[in-house]
Amino acid sequence: MIHFLMMVLFAALVAVVFGIVGRDTLRERSLYGLKIFAEFLGIGLALAWLLYFLPI
Amino acid sequence: MPEEATMGAWLAGLAAWAVPGAGHMLQGRWGRALLLGGAVWAMFLTGLILGGHLFSLGGQEEGTSALLRVPPMIANLGTGILYLYCWATNTGFAEGAEQAARMTFEYGNTFLLVAGLLNYLAMLDAFDIAVGRKS
Repeated sequence: MIHFLMMVLFAALVAVVFGIVGRDTLRERSLYGLKIFAEFLGIGLALAWLLYFLPI
Repeated sequence: MPEEATMGAWLAGLAAWAVPGAGHMLQGRWGRALLLGGAVWAMFLTGLILGGHLFSLGGQEEGTSALLRVPPMIANLGTGILYLYCWATNTGFAEGAEQAARMTFEYGNTFLLVAGLLNYLAMLDAFDIAVGRKS
């Protein structure tokens, strides 16, 4: 569980910074931040499942 | 038309590097300072709590392998006074097997590295605002 929470916290903090420095208006920043957050989580979970099936 | 970099712009950039959030505070952008600075501080402190390792030039490696410490050190150094304080108090620089065996050791490393890199972005943002490249 802690692994997932760490990933969520990491994604949230990075999304805040990227959202602010990457766009100009409040709406654009919010959407961009949410997009970054969702991408971090989505790609992280996809990679986790991919690695789960790989034999060690 | 962007203005030429003034002393104030360099000062804002320097302040943003030295104390995360201070560069935007100097410009009166309190919300941005709180969010950017807060994110960097939170990431750095979380990294320390998770048992992450801060990099410096001094270490057990010799020769060219010691150069591998330079890139992560540059990333860590991005947190400015937070890194310097830890360096002065020898906090987070321990290199023991016990620390490395912690479950969250690598998470902590990543948080500490990325905190510095994010602060470099915040520093450039403060500088760009000061020279008129961004609003």
